[in-house]
Amino acid sequence: MSITAEHAASLASKPSRPAVTAVQAYGNKLGLWNMWVAFAALAVGLPMGLFQAAERSGFFPGIENTAVYFASTSTHGVLMAFVLTTFFAMGWGYHTMAHSVNKKPFFGWTSFWVALIGTVMAAIPLLTGYASVLYTFYPPEMAHPSFYLGATLLVVGSWFWVADMIIAFVQWKKENPGKPIPAVMFMFTMTALLWGWTSLGVGSESLFQLLPVAFGLTPTIDVGLARTLFSWTLHSIVYFWLMPAYIAMYVILPREAGGKLFSDEFARIAFVLLFIFSVPIGFHHLYLDPQQAAGWKLLHMFGTFMVAVPTFLTGFTVLASMEIAGRLRGGKGLFGWIGALDWNNPIVLAGGLSLLMLTVGGWGGVLNASYTWDVMVHNTQWITGHFHLIFGGTTVIMYLAAAYWLWPKITGNALYSRALAVWQMWLYFIGMVVLTGPWHVLGLIGQPRRVSFTDQYAAFPEYAQMWGIYEALMIVGALLVVVSGFMFIYNLFMTHFNKVPAADTKVEYAVAIHEPMRLPNVLNSLAFWNWAMVAYMLLSYGYPILQFFFMAGDKTIPWGV
Amino acid sequence: MTPEEEKKILASSPMGTWVILAVYGVLFTLAWLGMYALFLSHGPVS
Repeated sequence: MSITAEHAASLASKPSRPAVTAVQAYGNKLGLWNMWVAFAALAVGLPMGLFQAAERSGFFPGIENTAVYFASTSTHGVLMAFVLTTFFAMGWGYHTMAHSVNKKPFFGWTSFWVALIGTVMAAIPLLTGYASVLYTFYPPEMAHPSFYLGATLLVVGSWFWVADMIIAFVQWKKENPGKPIPAVMFMFTMTALLWGWTSLGVGSESLFQLLPVAFGLTPTIDVGLARTLFSWTLHSIVYFWLMPAYIAMYVILPREAGGKLFSDEFARIAFVLLFIFSVPIGFHHLYLDPQQAAGWKLLHMFGTFMVAVPTFLTGFTVLASMEIAGRLRGGKGLFGWIGALDWNNPIVLAGGLSLLMLTVGGWGGVLNASYTWDVMVHNTQWITGHFHLIFGGTTVIMYLAAAYWLWPKITGNALYSRALAVWQMWLYFIGMVVLTGPWHVLGLIGQPRRVSFTDQYAAFPEYAQMWGIYEALMIVGALLVVVSGFMFIYNLFMTHFNKVPAADTKVEYAVAIHEPMRLPNVLNSLAFWNWAMVAYMLLSYGYPILQFFFMAGDKTIPWGV
Repeated sequence: MTPEEEKKILASSPMGTWVILAVYGVLFTLAWLGMYALFLSHGPVS
């Protein structure tokens, strides 16, 4: 599906559209297809979330069906956590590759089609109830083989994208020796590299454990090993979701706000720290698993706390960039810049709302990482509330903002309705707060997660009475989020076919206050961090994985033995 | 805004951001410890 020079020329001839190179036109088209798949997944997955909130509330006996609930939960999870995120990152990544370093990918459409075929293969058993195993790949729950094959293909498709990003990065560096690679490309390639490392865990579990059992080639599965391998993926995947959201905050928001990026170097440091600190720390998902020793869990706990450093650095740099923009717009005093910002710009608004959700979600994350505290909320709805606030809230709202920025630049058409976008952002934020606040409370008062409550309500009416108000609030929150989601899809669709040309289609990223002329090699290359990752992974996961091959049984293993 | 004023703003320290993050850091820590106090006061899980 290559683009011809004539097509590129015809795109360039649209009114107000600056000339795009054939490479950029290719990146636009590839990016657009990938991101439409991502947002199609969002459109399909959102109503499922509302159904789940309603089904498990006990308020609507007519829709109660445990089998449908778990099929819906699994599909919702896979669509949101894997399909939306992977296709969005690939789409914007390919767009960035074309526009920041003018490189054409080798595997662009291969990546897209392999991932899409995988998605369809996984969707069929999910929707027909043959893969109601949630998105967490935890045996002994087993799905139809085509689910694992499809999920593996989705990951393999994304590996082509990872390879493309790294190849483009290395090529540009060779062609421009000593020059700093554009920060946006540095950040996206770090994201791709992180995903390459992250996905190895679930990839290994799927290839060597789940698929052989699903096909009947092996009779049993080592659950401890499978959960350990998935923990490798399970937390760092959150940063694969978050990093494109942070990229939007670093490279789009400051310019849209009317200012500059506070520090290019801080952005790069935050990304290398996110890369290094977020992968080898997955044991906080195994705190109550008996197969890993307490000492390793303690090590991973301290590792997890380290992620707070780049998160705070990101919060500081983005907020400082917003402060500069507000002051340039006339804001005075310590906080006058907040009121001076253009909150009717959907990207500025999304940035502010996303940071607000991050303040609470990040705090909840540190609690979850705290070994003894995690015991209290383990497998409760607190956890589900937490990851919906961080992913559905903090992360996805920035995806939506980035789409509002990207669509006019890719299609050449003006954003259909800026006012609708602003209302949509507010509704999304309010919906997320109303949805996830009660969810956290439900966890604290003991409601377990991953349970359809259809039957249990009848057996424990006193619990139903205690949970009822929170369940009701969650349904309201979920409804607001779904309405907001469809407002977004409608706005995007109408933008796509808008006859009004966009006023500004040039892709320009935020400029730093002090643009770096030269950078230390560690902030301008991948090799050092890649080797650092090898060392850290061997240290934190080497023994915990190898033990399964040398020790029998599933009892807790003492520290160092 | 004159170029001098713009230059001054770009060269200034983001004081508002420092204050927000400092207040947030304190609240973050207090709330973290507060959650321990709230739940540990109930004693061990039985």
